[in-house]
Amino acid sequence: MRSGREWRYRLVLALPLVCLSGCGGGQSTLSPHSGPARTISSLWWIMFVGSALVFALVVALIAVGLLKRRRTSPGTKFVVGLGVVLPVVVIVSLFVLTLDALPKTSPSSAKTRFQVDVVGREWFWDVSYPATGARTANEIHIPVGVPVDVRVTSSDVIHSLWVPELNRKVDAIPGHPNDVVFDAREAGVFRGQCAEFCGLEHAHMALEVVAEPRAAFDDWLHRASAPAPPPANARLERGQQVLLGSDCEYCHRIAGTNASGTVGPDLTHIASRLSLAAATIPNSRGYLAGWILDPQHIKPGNKMPATNLSGPDLQALLDYLESLR
Amino acid sequence: MAATNVEQLRHEWAEPGALMTAVATVDHKRIGVRYLITATLFFLLAGLEAVTMRTQLARPNERLLTPEAYDQLFSMHGITMIFLFVTPMLSGFGNYFVPLMVGARDMAFPRLNALSYWVFLASGIFMYSGLLIGSAPDAGWFSYAPLSSTSPGSNLDFYGLGLIFLGISSTAGAVNFIVTIIRLRAPGMSLNRMPLFCWAILATSLSLVFAIPSLTADCLFLELSRKWGYHFFDAAHGGDALLWQHLFWIFGHPDVYIIFLPAVGIVSTIIPVFSRRPMVAYHLVALATMATAFLGFGVWVHHMFAVGLPQITMTVFAAASMVIAIPSGIQVFAWIATLMRGRPVMRTPFLFVVGFIVTFVIGGLSGVMFAVIPFDQQVTDSYFVVAHFHYVLFGGAVFPILAAIHYWLPKISGRMLDERLGAASFWSIFLGFNLTFFPMHIAGLLGMPRRVYTYPSGMGWDALNLLSTIGSYVLAIGILMVVVNVLWSLVRGRPAGNDPWEANTLEWSTTSPPPNYNFATIPVVRSPDPNWDEPQRSDLLLAHGHETVATSELEGELDGVLRMPEESVWPLILAVSLAVFFVGLIASSNTAAWTGIGMIVVSLAGWHLPTARGDERSDPPPAERTGGWWGMVLLIATEATLFAVLLATYFYLRFEPKGAWPPDGLRDPKLLKPLVATLILVASSASIVLSTLAARRGQLVRVRVGLLVTIALGVVFLILQRQIIDASLRAFHPGTDAYGSIFYTLLGLHAAHVVLGVLLAAWAVLRTIRFDRSAVVTVRVVSFYVHFVNVVAAVVFLALYVSPRG
Repeated sequence: MRSGREWRYRLVLALPLVCLSGCGGGQSTLSPHSGPARTISSLWWIMFVGSALVFALVVALIAVGLLKRRRTSPGTKFVVGLGVVLPVVVIVSLFVLTLDALPKTSPSSAKTRFQVDVVGREWFWDVSYPATGARTANEIHIPVGVPVDVRVTSSDVIHSLWVPELNRKVDAIPGHPNDVVFDAREAGVFRGQCAEFCGLEHAHMALEVVAEPRAAFDDWLHRASAPAPPPANARLERGQQVLLGSDCEYCHRIAGTNASGTVGPDLTHIASRLSLAAATIPNSRGYLAGWILDPQHIKPGNKMPATNLSGPDLQALLDYLESLR
Repeated sequence: MAATNVEQLRHEWAEPGALMTAVATVDHKRIGVRYLITATLFFLLAGLEAVTMRTQLARPNERLLTPEAYDQLFSMHGITMIFLFVTPMLSGFGNYFVPLMVGARDMAFPRLNALSYWVFLASGIFMYSGLLIGSAPDAGWFSYAPLSSTSPGSNLDFYGLGLIFLGISSTAGAVNFIVTIIRLRAPGMSLNRMPLFCWAILATSLSLVFAIPSLTADCLFLELSRKWGYHFFDAAHGGDALLWQHLFWIFGHPDVYIIFLPAVGIVSTIIPVFSRRPMVAYHLVALATMATAFLGFGVWVHHMFAVGLPQITMTVFAAASMVIAIPSGIQVFAWIATLMRGRPVMRTPFLFVVGFIVTFVIGGLSGVMFAVIPFDQQVTDSYFVVAHFHYVLFGGAVFPILAAIHYWLPKISGRMLDERLGAASFWSIFLGFNLTFFPMHIAGLLGMPRRVYTYPSGMGWDALNLLSTIGSYVLAIGILMVVVNVLWSLVRGRPAGNDPWEANTLEWSTTSPPPNYNFATIPVVRSPDPNWDEPQRSDLLLAHGHETVATSELEGELDGVLRMPEESVWPLILAVSLAVFFVGLIASSNTAAWTGIGMIVVSLAGWHLPTARGDERSDPPPAERTGGWWGMVLLIATEATLFAVLLATYFYLRFEPKGAWPPDGLRDPKLLKPLVATLILVASSASIVLSTLAARRGQLVRVRVGLLVTIALGVVFLILQRQIIDASLRAFHPGTDAYGSIFYTLLGLHAAHVVLGVLLAAWAVLRTIRFDRSAVVTVRVVSFYVHFVNVVAAVVFLALYVSPRG
């Protein structure tokens, strides 16, 4: 019985260690890529070791109780010592750790340079850069080494923005704007996901944070602030007409065209994005076509209806969308 | 103590025919067993839901379930486990064993007890009928607004109305337990000799009395928003989404201890028995139980660390949350000390208890981590929290419940369970449980959010989820083994005898199963372990009626003899009437809802008719503070909490979303007419005081005049209030904004209480037709309610009419 439990324990203890080294590119709280995320992961490891010690103590005492040969007679002193003094020592230490870590992970401490507005929607993230006109979805670009104030709110139900490798989560609540600081230490793509249950497609409400060197970021912001490029040839022209002639424009916005809907994600520079449907599928021609024709198969319950298009119309539309870089 | 004694008791406590017993019994043992069976069925349903979800989550991108189905399953799983299984299951054990453990012959209010069960059953069926028609609640067990307040369909109405309905059962049950424990203990059982299980039930019941109103108010706001267009949670109309969360967790965190404390009481019952030693640090453990229940009310904000509250608020609540580690620590190490002192006997109940300590310590340790605010903000709403609360709730409540089944079933059925099958089921459950839930800690740390119906591959979550799913099957097999063991034992189990475990508490001093009257003689208690006392107890004979004894609250000194009520079908009829009312609400059928209200009034009247065997020999109430006195005080406590929550909501909505109050375009409400109406109502306090004074002196005419004046003043108030509301509606209505919503909710709810006060006064008038001492008590108890309603009227007046001018 005891050996079985120990064996299991070794296994489960080993698992996070394996993943710590081998699970990059996910959204692990244990592979921090910013100061705040590192503070929190250190908290975890400190508490994990402390908990393991207390747990070992309890199991050892139970084992003594069950297997002992001599009589022992612990009394009230034992109960007060282990049941009052020990918890008091533990919670005082934890409280000190909390007071130390709280400012490091809170927005007030960092001198943020600029703000990104993120609005949680059922079921995507509407992202905009105030005073630039740049607007995108499900993708937040930030410069490496520059603390960015991410202001989070919601226009429908409560969501929660969670990019574990950069910082703690923060709820997106209608009428309550909240802030969280993203300050990536190195370039990379960090996945995040909605953490507050928000209805049918809560499972498919992810996003990516793209941290890139300052120059690359400035370049991206410059392009993202511009309206969509006008169609460069007749084929793209036709694609744009398909879009403007279908239901697409009622829900989507493409800056520089008549499409100005606000129900779905902004498509002005859709071709430059890493993924589609709130980081649910890759941004490739095939997936894009599948999404347009039957979005309910990929993400059942989402607000986009299927679009019925002829083969040539679809191809032209895809060409046009792929030109929106 | 002779055969004649037992013969007389058999006659006095004889049951009517089987059919009549089925619908009308008030025997706490029958009601307890019904609770246990019904709750077990809900547990099996919730387990089935869980296994289905785990199957969906076994692999990434699985499409076994649609998101609609998954959302309903996880919501019903949580709602069922929390509201329809754990609490009712523990109520079942409480119902069966609290009277036996304190040496009483029934609960303090047997008919109210029957009502609690019927309402629990009806509300459970009500909530599950949503699943049958494919529109079960689908926003989780805590159903955050505005998702819950704006979702289409009836799904969330089954939740909101169902929980208000169930709250009646929980509140009635809690009041019953409290009065039973403080009034019906055997002579000599002072509070410091009371079994720890009874301490736990007392702490839990007190928590329920003060926690349920917050949930009721929240669900009331939810339904008013969903069905009648009120704006409590809607930021665009002056409401606030966080209001839901505050009220929910003011209920929800105490509810965690409501679930956990009775389970802990079971552990504190079983450990001394199987260690063959009295509980070490008994007093500290009793104190820790009460302290946990009390502290539970001061920590709710730790469920809301990610919503963006001020740091100072969060820090205070984090500190309060950490303090809970102290009473938990005391209990854990008191169990371990008892176990170390004794010579443990490894039987199935004890295995489950040891399994409980191990899993609960893990859950407690991960629980303390949530008080470290930044860590909480990182892992809350991830699978880490799913792992944590299953360690606390499955580890902390289900293991003790399984221990209790193996420990107490021999008393209930008179037969033992099989030890080998018991041990096998324990290992299957223990291993399956840890295999299911331990990997979830890691999945959460690796970033897997909770409540997702599927997940992408390549995140490091696949293997962990597969392990969890396999674990859930192993766990399910273990549970089925328990079911088989229980059914087998009912048919073939070895006869248990009175006391198979050589236990220390009173339930083991009577036969298994106990007779209708529980004890042939009323035990007299001299220590916390009465069944271990030598020599034999010197019992009291009490055989000449359908009676039990009452004792004083603290010392347990003999106070008098209570005549216990007979069977009654009215609790069942009242429960059905309530069900008609709630079905009318969910179906938006005014006819059905009003029919329900009519039926409720009729069944309340029927309930209080004198019964055939009933009042022929009504003893004078033995003490100043009778059961009815305590019952009314507790009812007022819970109702006062409800109004406190509503008034807190009024000021929260006024100060939290900042803006003018009343909102722009509205003038301050007019003062004069409400002032006059309030003064008229408050005057009824004077008339009812005259009534109570006259009742004590036996001046029948003055009693009646006082009561009739009280009724008249109440009616005049209601007429004036109607005019005030009509006038206000011309300026603004509940759908205008949050101000209108809370304004009319407060006025409406208070008016409903005035109606109830008037009805109670009318009932008191009827009780004076045959004027005896119990009528004196009735008048006194009704006067409390009238005073309460009048105080609320004054406070509501100050809040609604005076405070906006400040």
